[in-house]
Amino acid sequence: MKPRHRQRILAALILTAFGTPALAAPNTVELEKQLKALQEYVRSLQSQLQAVKDAQPTTTPGAAAAGPDENVASKDDINGLQADLENFKYQLQRDRDTRTALSARALNVSGVIQARYGATDAAVNTGGNSANAVNGRNNSFDLGAVLIGFNGNLYKDYEDGRNLDYTLRFGTSPQQGTNNSFLNLIDANLTYHILPTISADAGRLSVTFGQQLLPFGQEVQATEDLKPTINNALFTSPGSLDLARRQVGLIFRGDAFPVVDYGYNYRAPILTYAFGLVNGNGPNKSDDNNNKDLVGRVALTLPSDYNSWLRQLSFGASIYRGKQNVFVNSGADLVDKGKKDRFGFDLAYNHHPFGVTYEYTEGRDEYATGTKAAYSVAERKSRAHTGTFFYNIGEQFVKGYRAQGRYDDWWPKSYQPFYRYDRFDPNTAALRDEIKVHTLGLNVFFAETSKFQLNLNRTTFAATDKTTNDLLAQFQFGF
Amino acid sequence: MISRTRLLTRRLILAGLAASVLAPIAALAADAPKVIRIGLPLVGTGNRPVGGSWNFATVQIKGSLEQEFKADGIRIEWNNFKGAGPALNEAIANKLIDVFAIGDLPGIVGKASGLKTKIIAADNRRYAYAIGVPADSQARSIEDLKGKKLAIFKGTAIQLGFGKFLSRHGLSEKDFKIINMDSNTATAALATKDVDALFTAPSALYPLEDRGVAKVIYNERHDPAAANDRGQAYVVATEDFEKAHPEVVQRIVNVLVREAAWSADEKNRSALLQLWAKSGTPFSAYRRDYEGQGFKEALSPLLDEEFVANIQRNVSESQKLKLVRGSVDAAGWVDRKYLDAALKSNGLTNFWTPLDAGGKPKK
Repeated sequence: MKPRHRQRILAALILTAFGTPALAAPNTVELEKQLKALQEYVRSLQSQLQAVKDAQPTTTPGAAAAGPDENVASKDDINGLQADLENFKYQLQRDRDTRTALSARALNVSGVIQARYGATDAAVNTGGNSANAVNGRNNSFDLGAVLIGFNGNLYKDYEDGRNLDYTLRFGTSPQQGTNNSFLNLIDANLTYHILPTISADAGRLSVTFGQQLLPFGQEVQATEDLKPTINNALFTSPGSLDLARRQVGLIFRGDAFPVVDYGYNYRAPILTYAFGLVNGNGPNKSDDNNNKDLVGRVALTLPSDYNSWLRQLSFGASIYRGKQNVFVNSGADLVDKGKKDRFGFDLAYNHHPFGVTYEYTEGRDEYATGTKAAYSVAERKSRAHTGTFFYNIGEQFVKGYRAQGRYDDWWPKSYQPFYRYDRFDPNTAALRDEIKVHTLGLNVFFAETSKFQLNLNRTTFAATDKTTNDLLAQFQFGF
Repeated sequence: MISRTRLLTRRLILAGLAASVLAPIAALAADAPKVIRIGLPLVGTGNRPVGGSWNFATVQIKGSLEQEFKADGIRIEWNNFKGAGPALNEAIANKLIDVFAIGDLPGIVGKASGLKTKIIAADNRRYAYAIGVPADSQARSIEDLKGKKLAIFKGTAIQLGFGKFLSRHGLSEKDFKIINMDSNTATAALATKDVDALFTAPSALYPLEDRGVAKVIYNERHDPAAANDRGQAYVVATEDFEKAHPEVVQRIVNVLVREAAWSADEKNRSALLQLWAKSGTPFSAYRRDYEGQGFKEALSPLLDEEFVANIQRNVSESQKLKLVRGSVDAAGWVDRKYLDAALKSNGLTNFWTPLDAGGKPKK
């Protein structure tokens, strides 16, 4: 008990003891008795106090000096935290002002660069003026392609994921005998997701408006999962069926009846489809006639769980029906419009560690002969077969495996040997005009966005009865 | 002086002894893998390969397997999957993993879809789930969240835990707008109110509550109705690996059992939670999550009747909730020989009390 409390108690007791006798003066004997009683009372109080003290837990003498409760933040602690926060806010604002690329909306910047060495046993010679002439070139260092892309979100639907996205992509590729490799606009489009995208169990539908790839067949839209080669298949190039060129138009893409195996995080829609209208005359141009070309595709994937041998076995069919301007006099005189139709059938069995793809494509193009005054239109039928087999050694294509928690910049190194057979017959009515390419290659995936590719191409030209051998070695890297 | 005959005899005996000692080691060296590929569905904050709550997480953090196999030159390759159990299943289907720990639902899905595996030990068998909502949410129960955006990590044990929780309340996933998110993404989404609620482990929600951005409105650990519905995890070996390297599997189980015994000691409780806190989930969050829950019971490696009955019940629940096609015979999936040998060789045969199918100590 504190001294002050004791004094108060004693004062109260004295007042109690002497309060009443103060009215009539007591004698000495009475006073002694009262004093004794008072002493007894004090002793009794002292023993009670001691009992209370004994009942209380003992505190060590140093307990008070042990310091403040560690669970309670002091003012100094808060001041320190506040200073850290202010420093952080200042640094963040300063970095944002001076060192941060800003955009009005969400923006993802990406790029791809292909640094390539190519050698051939058929020397390249061109005529032409002195600046652009090529004189007996057997090998060359090139930039196969350089692409820079911007994409992001113009409207984000938090409720259903019916987002509005944009894509803008520029690119360049090596030019024969000239150094004019300006960046061209490749993709420029808006995509709106008509159906909700937040659930994997539901089908999806989106519409893309602008300049974009055609949803035709496999090769045109294949990612590196299905296309191991450096060069595209022959039928896609502008000299043949011209399907890889971007087109301007409006295309719907969607899927239905998805099979979702959540136990493997695997989603495979049974039906995938696309259809739309495009100008048909390539990128960065207004239409050259009043006819819009129709493109459509359906693909069926067998329903299966992830751990099934039927996983990722799909069949597809594609159609492109359009009109093109036809000319005579070596393209000098426009005379009419002719058909420009393409049909295709494809299958893919991408079952890690191996994959097989096959694609058949047929083209029907009308062309004119004669003169502007007297011309006739005929149809040319062309045909292409492309088949690829690849085998993966490593985990590059096991989606869940490569997404791991790691301390370092880890990536599963993978090797992918492959073989491709590619054949294009530009005119089935003509004899010995087809081109065949056998490609043997190896892809080495050594970092997240980088790979080394080695392709050996053996090309046979039936028209000239010549065979050439090419080697392409390329680093492709991106960000 | 020792005679030549005795010397020769002595040398022969020594050679025999040396041969008897070295032969198993040589055999092990000949059969031993160069690397053991371990899979864990646990990833910590900031993508660090560290988890918590599981015995196998403790083994990884302490480097116990590395110590066990160091002398043999066998490398331990840890694969901590961001995609949790489903990503682990994908890797197993592609033969990229030898031994792994996995939770209820993905383990069952993998087995039902034909993955050839054997359960060799139990891991955490007292897993609980909780519901977190934004701090200013008016929701006080699951009924208040009907029609709202609720995040779960589909394909993981969380989805089965959620399904069982909804069944107890007479609800189904159709009563909510379910959004599939991994745990780290989901906690961020809850903090920014992109979702109205999150169903996950309590230890993932408490840090948000401490920051004042969320509150826990339900914790299964405090719900008597959920006492027999705890989530559980187990350690599994692929049949290929188990057949090829039974002695390696045995040593892995030995390590697991020793670590489980260490965790069971209450005086190591703080040290254990400190280890798990290396995942980025604070010590205090684990402390609150496991308040009143002993680790001897929670991390018991026993493949007892309760464990097997729980798996079988979870198979039925998964089928009822249409989360799995096919079936699994839990008793046939479990292989006790490695665990029994490990308990015996470590003097732990009677350390844990086996439980019967009802969760009561077996007499």
